[in-house]
Amino acid sequence: MCSSDVQSRVMKVMANVLKIDEAEISPDANFIFDLGADSAQSLELIAGFEEEFDIEMDEDKALEIQTVADAVVFITEYVK
Amino acid sequence: MGFRQLKPGEITELENNLCMSDNWANVSVNENFNPSKIKNTRFSGMITIGNLSKDIEILEGIVKPSGISNSYIQNCSIGNNVYINEVKNLANYNIKNDVIIENVGLLAVTGETSFGNGVEIEILNEGGGRELPIYDKLSSQIAYMLVNYRHDSIFIGELKKLIKEYTDNKKSNIGTIGQKTKILNCIVLKNLNIGEYAELDSVARLENGTIVSSEEAPSSFGINVDAENFIALEGCKVNGGVVIDNCFIGQAVKIGKQYSAENSALFANSEFFHGEACSIFAGPYTVTHHKSSLLIAGMFSFYNAGSGTNQSNHMYKLGPLHQGILERGSKTGSFSYMLWPCRTGAFTAVLGKHYNHFDTTSFPFSYIDEVGGKSVLTPAMNLLTVGTTRDSGKWPNRDKRKAKIKRDLINFELYSPYTIGKMLEGSNILTELYEGASKKLEYVKHRGVYIKRLMLKMCKKYYKLGLDVYIGQELSKKIKSLETSSFSDFKKQLFAETVSTSEKWCDVSGMITPVNEINKIIEMVKSGELSCINCFEDKLRDLFNSYEEYAWKWTAGLILQTLEKTSQNIEKDDLIKLLENWDKSNSKLNNMILKDAEKEFDENSRMGFGIDGTPQEKEEDFKNVRGEYSNDKFVLGLEKEKEKVSIKVKELVKIIMMSL
Repeated sequence: MCSSDVQSRVMKVMANVLKIDEAEISPDANFIFDLGADSAQSLELIAGFEEEFDIEMDEDKALEIQTVADAVVFITEYVK
Repeated sequence: MGFRQLKPGEITELENNLCMSDNWANVSVNENFNPSKIKNTRFSGMITIGNLSKDIEILEGIVKPSGISNSYIQNCSIGNNVYINEVKNLANYNIKNDVIIENVGLLAVTGETSFGNGVEIEILNEGGGRELPIYDKLSSQIAYMLVNYRHDSIFIGELKKLIKEYTDNKKSNIGTIGQKTKILNCIVLKNLNIGEYAELDSVARLENGTIVSSEEAPSSFGINVDAENFIALEGCKVNGGVVIDNCFIGQAVKIGKQYSAENSALFANSEFFHGEACSIFAGPYTVTHHKSSLLIAGMFSFYNAGSGTNQSNHMYKLGPLHQGILERGSKTGSFSYMLWPCRTGAFTAVLGKHYNHFDTTSFPFSYIDEVGGKSVLTPAMNLLTVGTTRDSGKWPNRDKRKAKIKRDLINFELYSPYTIGKMLEGSNILTELYEGASKKLEYVKHRGVYIKRLMLKMCKKYYKLGLDVYIGQELSKKIKSLETSSFSDFKKQLFAETVSTSEKWCDVSGMITPVNEINKIIEMVKSGELSCINCFEDKLRDLFNSYEEYAWKWTAGLILQTLEKTSQNIEKDDLIKLLENWDKSNSKLNNMILKDAEKEFDENSRMGFGIDGTPQEKEEDFKNVRGEYSNDKFVLGLEKEKEKVSIKVKELVKIIMMSL
């Protein structure tokens, strides 16, 4: 899976969890500061990524993800 | 103390000092009596007066000679070196040595009273049915059982009998004021028993109550307090316009700043300011500090009420019949609202307004948030937050009880067979819900709350981290206590006695204990084997002191269940695996908590800092007021704890490997 595929699926999950339009999400957008994710939504995003990509992310490492770009890099590693 | 009749010359001197008596023959005095110590006082009924020879310190730096002046005294026994001045009516008291009473309107016992002992308060359910008789040795455990175990009417009947036997013995026409107690500038004090070293200063009115106090834990009642039908235990501080009606005030409880409470029991180390309590069972460490906070018809412990916290127990149908339970460690956010009946699991944060009735007892360490009118539960979320860890560390250090006997029996453990048992229960429910939920669903509903479907699997993983940490902590403690170099002995000792994790535990308002053991004590009360309230208390204390023993048996069962092994076929590697899981999960959990702590230092947290300055000044302002993440005491503590666990695990693994 290439990183652009990962990115589009990451954005789909984010739009779904944060209830925002995909068009509002830029690759550099910070989940918390730019997209307004609260603590529970941050966890839900991780759960969403796990389900979308059928992966099990390391609980604490996954919380390091702050932006769409972070998520893409992180998940691409897992998917490999 | 030997007393004698007054001599004629002494009576003359007393009368010259403007003193009067209905009958001087009824006034007995100490051998060294000095009539010059008594001025302008009228005596009535039977009076004894001790040796008034020493000076006494009224307030810091104000020393006056002991004596009696400008007062009316009826039927009192007055100890040595007492100072009584300007007491308009003092009647029917046994006043011990070194007591100070000055500028008091009324201090009297008016007929037979039990001094608040045996008063029944309508607690938890405002509609009644859970009445709690209060008395001067009541513990949160006995109160919990009396209030909550109404399914067993025989037990309740027997327990009430034991309490009545005790409170009937408190009945008297004469009250006591304990030694070294100070009563200054009070208006009405009626039918009170006051312990030693107590301080009553500028109180408005106290009626029908007992104030237990001691040298190491003096109690105090201060300015404009108005209290009726109450029991207050050692070390309590009640001040500042507080209004109390039908209440029990436990050891080291603080009430102030115009708080009002009725039909409530407030147990050890709780604090109440500004707000209102009505029919609440405030277990140990219940705290509410803010205005507009109403706690009503609820049971709490280790609780913190945000400002404007409110609940409703009345739905304008059959009356105020509803009640709620916030299990230990819960918090309610600012202006949170709950519509009783509800029950939240331990260590749960409730945010927003909730009009749904829910029961989340199987999901400790959770968040319940209001999302578009729904009550949304995020299980295990509070395991990952900095607040829970901080709270768990602060409670033992904030135990202000100094009395010789600590009435409430309190376990402080964050992870215990109670919370871990609930986590296991919650994990099973999460699995069932996950397996039964269509992927199309955003939420699943469970006992009145909504859970995001996506979170079902994730939250179970978080509970697993808690479980690993608990097993590791307990296993580590146990291994360190063993003395053997043989692995087979090691196993024998570890798993000598195990119980199934299906054995339920309960939180008896501070005391965490197996349900079976509580039931055994209940049976002993019912059968008459425990025939006095002291015996019942002692039995509960024995159970409390056996916590470690029972907890280990349960944990040993949990270990075997986790490993899917028996005590016979367990191997060294199994134990090593559990310890390594502890290290790993502890590190993960701490990292997540640290991540949460980091938010307290992020961009959003800096809003409002550097009010009129440049971005650099904003940074400096924040740094000087809040400090830096990297130097934060809590953060450093958690980092250190991670290291400590890793070192401990290495040591323990070595011990296991070395065993023969």
